Amino acid sequence: MNPPHTENIYLPKLAVLDRVVDDIPEVKTFYWRFEDPSAQEQFKHFRPGQFAQVSLFGVGEFPASLPPSPTEEETFFTIRQVGSCTSALHQLKPRDKFAVRGPYGNGFPMEDYQGMNLTFVAGGIGLIPLRSCIVYALRHRTRYGRIQVFYGAKTPGELMYMPDLGAWEKSGGMECHLTVDRAADGWTGHVGVVGSLFKKAGVDVPVDNTIAFVCGPPVMFRFVIKDLLALGFKEHRIVSTLERYMKCGVGKCGHCCIGVAYICVDGPVFTYEQIKRLGEDI
Amino acid sequence: MKARVVALGDVLKIVDVLRGRGYEVLAPFYGRGRDSYFDTVTEENRGRVQIHLPNPYYPPKRFVFPHIERLMRVRGRNGEMQIEPSYEEPRRALFGIRSCDVAGLWHLDRFYLGRDFRDVYYEKRRKNLFLVNVVCTDPARDIGEDCFCLCADTGPAARDHFDLQLMDLGEREFMAVAGTPAGEELFSEPLFGKATAAHLERRRAILAEVRKRFQATTSWFPATVRYVSQGAILDSTWEEIGKRCLECGGCTYVCPACTCFTVSDRQVGPEEVERVRIWDSCALSGFTRMAGGFNPRRAVHDRRNRRFFRKLAQYFIQRELAMACVGCGRCAAVCHGDIGMPSVVEMIRREAPETPKNEPAPH
Repeated sequence: MNPPHTENIYLPKLAVLDRVVDDIPEVKTFYWRFEDPSAQEQFKHFRPGQFAQVSLFGVGEFPASLPPSPTEEETFFTIRQVGSCTSALHQLKPRDKFAVRGPYGNGFPMEDYQGMNLTFVAGGIGLIPLRSCIVYALRHRTRYGRIQVFYGAKTPGELMYMPDLGAWEKSGGMECHLTVDRAADGWTGHVGVVGSLFKKAGVDVPVDNTIAFVCGPPVMFRFVIKDLLALGFKEHRIVSTLERYMKCGVGKCGHCCIGVAYICVDGPVFTYEQIKRLGEDI
Repeated sequence: MKARVVALGDVLKIVDVLRGRGYEVLAPFYGRGRDSYFDTVTEENRGRVQIHLPNPYYPPKRFVFPHIERLMRVRGRNGEMQIEPSYEEPRRALFGIRSCDVAGLWHLDRFYLGRDFRDVYYEKRRKNLFLVNVVCTDPARDIGEDCFCLCADTGPAARDHFDLQLMDLGEREFMAVAGTPAGEELFSEPLFGKATAAHLERRRAILAEVRKRFQATTSWFPATVRYVSQGAILDSTWEEIGKRCLECGGCTYVCPACTCFTVSDRQVGPEEVERVRIWDSCALSGFTRMAGGFNPRRAVHDRRNRRFFRKLAQYFIQRELAMACVGCGRCAAVCHGDIGMPSVVEMIRREAPETPKNEPAPH
């Protein structure tokens, strides 16, 4: 649910940091809640794939995907320290305050995918926005067919959400295939780009009646799309979530407009068919 | 729309009437030379308000969308933090806004108040803004060499979206047309006399004559819209345009229909931060640069392509009901590389026939 129309669309609400968990180098997960319980109640009906604007007063505001599923109790962000705002967030300690507004964007239409197989393909921190969909689908397991996760990172130490992935796979609800570009730390698993997992022995990707979720760095995205199309995926059955420099999150500041689409309001979720028609490179 | 007639000597009394009704009236004045600007009318400068003068460079959009505008103030530190939005709801009248700029404001209205989210800061400034449009009729003073409202279909006489429209009919008479009930309500003032069929005839004749006095012609506008929408413009044309761009952002700052802004926080006291929004420009390289340095729109010509695509693509025209170009000519006047809208349309016209797929092939 997006905020009601009468509100001041730029006004964030105060949030309190509850705890911080280290994920991989430079990436941490920040568990938080709104100071005002009614704001928390209103916020938690977001859709997988939506995002929020995070304010660090005195530094600025940045868009962040929502890795939790709306079916989970806690709200959190998983953030890589990369610019001034994310660095400021990384400095925060439990009980420190910041501010959040949202949720924004269209999100993944998970209801429309009922009865279909879900194939998640992620690279690096691209797993963060997809985490929401995976948890959501596992929570509503009977609504979906096969669920597969193909996930790759540069090194084993850069694989996100490893405990979660292990637990989800153990629950028997999904299959998980991991790969790294460079093996290290006693890695015995697959080595190669994410797309190479599709051809791994014992792996079969259902193509008919399947939605492929793709999220990762631009290079990975280009190659995975090629691989998926070669497998026989139709362009409208491949979905992704795009990101851009963003200031407002509500279709006004103009920064995230690619071709004909404002990523913040028309996206961030697009099918590959739509991405091709944006009229500008992503 | 109802029309009345005002005597030349009484036209500026409309300013007094509006001030008497509690409006802060903004009107155009001459600067030191031919430059002009909008300023608040006071007792001291009241006599220098101009009817006929070149349209100010700095567009009146700043009265609804200021160059720098505070969005909120945040007081306190971690213990007790308070976020207070900063609103301004002035009661203002813009006297002498040109037809192109009326169209520009209408564009901003649809952009900021339309779609899913309403911009409350814009809304509060816009709500009480009374518009007195002046029709450009004097070729020497009103119409600049870069004006092309005729091609953008916004002037010289705005057809809508003003409260009151004034047009010089010569012979020391002006026609006043009410565009809204608020405008019509002003007709209760004794300044306004009856308009006759002869006045309307004079209005028509003057407009017909004025239309011939525009120098800049961008007659290829519709074709350009089609080419831009179809992505049919050669990369080499955009590169040519990009080479001439100095990346100063001037075109966007003077554009009455440009809407982009950035948001910045600044420390204003030991325990106080304010968040402001500032006009931003797609011409600047940092416009799309993300944290970490990746910039999807790195080349200058990609950024120029962006500006003209956003203004002319059919998709946005359908969504916003008009082009995001109102033909004011400011970008042409301000651009040191001569790639304002009319020049770009002309460059596209020159290059278009050379598209290889249009060339005949030998058999």
